[in-house]
Amino acid sequence: MTTGAREAALRPFGRPSRLWWLTISALGAVVLAGLVAWVVQLKGGMGVAGYTDHAFWAIYIADVVTFIGVSYGGAVVSAILRLTGATWRAPLTRLAEGTAVVTVLIGAALIVPHIGSPIRLWELLIRPNLSAPVFWDFVAVMTYTFGSIVFFALPLVPDMAILGREHGQQLGRRQASLFAAVSRGWVGAPQQRRVLAGALGLVSIMIIPLAVSVHSVLAWAFASTSRPWWHESVWGPQFVVAALYSGVALVILVVAGFRRGYHLEAFITERHFVRLGFVMATLSATYIYLTFADLLPGSYVADRGTAAVFSELLVGRLALWFWMFAVFGGLLPLLLIALPWTRNLRGMVIAAALVVPMMWVKRILMVVGPATYDTMTGSFGRYHPTWVPVAITLAATAAIPLLLMLLFRVVPLLSIAEIEEMEKAEGVGPTAEPSEPAGHDGRQVGAGKAHRVAGATGVLLLVALLGLLGVGTGDNAQAAPPRGASTSASTSAPGITITGVQAGGAVQLTATLTGPRGHPTADVAVAFAFSTTQFGSPARLVPLGSATTDKVGIARLTLGGDADHLYRPTANGPQEFVATYAAAGATPVTSATTINVTIARSAYHPAPPKPLASVGNVLVVVFFAIVAAIWLTLGAQVWRVRRVCRGVQKPTPSSA
Amino acid sequence: MQPPTTRPDVPAGLPADVALDKHQMLSRRNVLATLGLTAAGVALAMVNYRDEAQAATTSKAAEHAWCMVIDLRMCDGCKLCTLACRKRHNLREEQTWINVYDMPDSVGGTFHMPRPCMMCEDPPCMYICPVGANLRTDEGLVLVDTDACIGSRACMAACPYEARYFNWTEPPPPKRLPMASTPQMPVAKKGTVGKCVFCADRLPHGELPACVAGCPMGVLYIGDLVTDVAVSGIGTTVVLSEFLRDNDAVRYKEELGTNPRVYYILGHGQNLGGAA
Repeated sequence: MTTGAREAALRPFGRPSRLWWLTISALGAVVLAGLVAWVVQLKGGMGVAGYTDHAFWAIYIADVVTFIGVSYGGAVVSAILRLTGATWRAPLTRLAEGTAVVTVLIGAALIVPHIGSPIRLWELLIRPNLSAPVFWDFVAVMTYTFGSIVFFALPLVPDMAILGREHGQQLGRRQASLFAAVSRGWVGAPQQRRVLAGALGLVSIMIIPLAVSVHSVLAWAFASTSRPWWHESVWGPQFVVAALYSGVALVILVVAGFRRGYHLEAFITERHFVRLGFVMATLSATYIYLTFADLLPGSYVADRGTAAVFSELLVGRLALWFWMFAVFGGLLPLLLIALPWTRNLRGMVIAAALVVPMMWVKRILMVVGPATYDTMTGSFGRYHPTWVPVAITLAATAAIPLLLMLLFRVVPLLSIAEIEEMEKAEGVGPTAEPSEPAGHDGRQVGAGKAHRVAGATGVLLLVALLGLLGVGTGDNAQAAPPRGASTSASTSAPGITITGVQAGGAVQLTATLTGPRGHPTADVAVAFAFSTTQFGSPARLVPLGSATTDKVGIARLTLGGDADHLYRPTANGPQEFVATYAAAGATPVTSATTINVTIARSAYHPAPPKPLASVGNVLVVVFFAIVAAIWLTLGAQVWRVRRVCRGVQKPTPSSA
Repeated sequence: MQPPTTRPDVPAGLPADVALDKHQMLSRRNVLATLGLTAAGVALAMVNYRDEAQAATTSKAAEHAWCMVIDLRMCDGCKLCTLACRKRHNLREEQTWINVYDMPDSVGGTFHMPRPCMMCEDPPCMYICPVGANLRTDEGLVLVDTDACIGSRACMAACPYEARYFNWTEPPPPKRLPMASTPQMPVAKKGTVGKCVFCADRLPHGELPACVAGCPMGVLYIGDLVTDVAVSGIGTTVVLSEFLRDNDAVRYKEELGTNPRVYYILGHGQNLGGAA
């Protein structure tokens, strides 16, 4: 068996068969067609893909979610099996991790056709908006991609050492030098293995929350809008489970494909498929539950928007697709795994082959339903995908096997070291698992004082930074303008005179009305106005209301004085006021005065800030600290393994 | 783990693991300390950017706070506002920056409801844009920098008023002299988003937005919350605060907390319940 794994891992490196070439060219053609479609879309705009203002998000974002989702399955399956010490994982981990890397890269690439101006994507790096979920999507996807590459690459070191050293003649020249470069210094010494196991253990732990974060943030890009059905708290966990579910299904398909293609039946048995099937069944049940939990409360309360979207989904135009998903993507796979007579290789592959496309359908429904809903009218827009997004989606799908086949032309398809260790361990006894990463708890803890101090300084700096932010948002007290004496000027006009004075902030307008013979006119209404040039010249008169003259012909109006007269001068400087009296059948008489306003008050009262608005500043700092910690820790694991490879000189015969 | 022993180089009371041998110390701890500092540095740089952006959006001393008042009692649904807007901004027919909806009223009929950009004081579109291509001016206008827009359409998802329109294909060629695109007077570009700008290029010159000027019924008022004045296209000039109060003006989808700067005056059984 020891040579079996090596021989099997070397199989893809040999002269490729005719079938291999055929498959590669067919897949390559599909990918090429997708690229052509993308060029067509670049030239013509996203309109050629069937997008309209009433269907602004559709197939591409569903593709992104699906592809990054299936990636999760590979990574987490491998990580969980590694952490729980499931020995049967050994022949599967490389394929699962490879699938994770390939699909996340394709998923990230699918953001490009989703974006209207992909040439500006680099702006995410140079001018990000830190309050945008899509920016954090980008950060999470990049971090997860890095993590999954590290997770894939670390176990390659011993494999490449074994193959490069002992089967070098079977490798190509470039391949041999790649293997030598990756595994330089690896001799399989106990210390090296301990460090590698420790590093892998840590990365296994990290990859799980990383993947959870990616799918949560993807979900939150939808959930942080006020659109019905997107704005749901269950979307984060639902996306995570959906990703796992479809991911395990894809792992089953990939493993089945490579098992058949490279005749790995000796390593990957039906038992493996059934076990993966059990994992998938758990996830299927969880996902069915979450779908129900997602739809029940909204249907029950039935807000106008939510009710409209859900009825479209459950009994309306999308119902056929939804129930198709429910049956073929949820119940039937569960049944295939549950029934003993379909619980075999063929049954599992059929179940997985149902789950992957059906989960894509579910994502399309989740995107298209709310995106076509018009929140103004409550109607639904139409989305008719053209050949362009179909070709791009097919190309992305074909790219998975294509890239995997090419990848495993270069790197070993089985993790030889792991398989051989498992085989050895199984010889000792089923409970003994010496290969399990014991490193993550057995690592030395401790640091020099200096580093404590450095750490504390970092924390202090963060605290100080937050303090600064707090201070920065404080308002500067504004000095009140000096209270000046107001002036008034009056222009005499036949019959009416207006005077105004600003005292103590209030402007008082006084109009004196005299009759044709100079007698005061009592008990008539005088209209007041002020003139503004804000909306162009000639100046416009803004009516302020009217006041009735008293016995001596005087009408008074205090601006802001009572509930009927809310207006107060809003800008310092001269302001013209006008009084008008229009007697029935006579030409209106007017008089104007200019008051030099010294105490102005803006009429605008901004809304109070939202209660949690300032939390964002703190969160951003925390998130960046976490992301930086993750990148550095992942990088440190690679560095650790490199260092231990360099450090160990004594050549121990590689028994692994 | 070491047993908790007292060591001469450690002050009593500290846990023993503080004082582990210096030579034993680990890259991880080391790394954590370094990354604390790095993260702080990175965060400092980024957060500064953000604060700057925020400061630009809310300046207390703004001279104007533009708003719109829409008197639904007057609207007969002629859509001349949409037409005027389309001509001024050279828009495709489906790009109704001010759209007149036929909405159901509470007695089984319909009423006409013009919908420009709401110029929210808490604009969801601005918060959600991944590259900060949405900006909010001192005067409260939410504008799109089409030279920065990457076309993610996150803003279209976030806008509760469906006020955003995307250039899905190559926009129609300009009908006037070509000019530089500004957020105030954007020139449509394929793959970017566009929306009502309240004719931001006109307002500083005291000119009315195209839709306001084009409305023959005096439905639309452009107003300024600071100077407390609003003007309609047919020359009606009012004290804004009194006008809003006296006519029981409401804002659309108030419950979403977007604080829109468009006020509706109802009065004929209209019901701004909205769709969502």
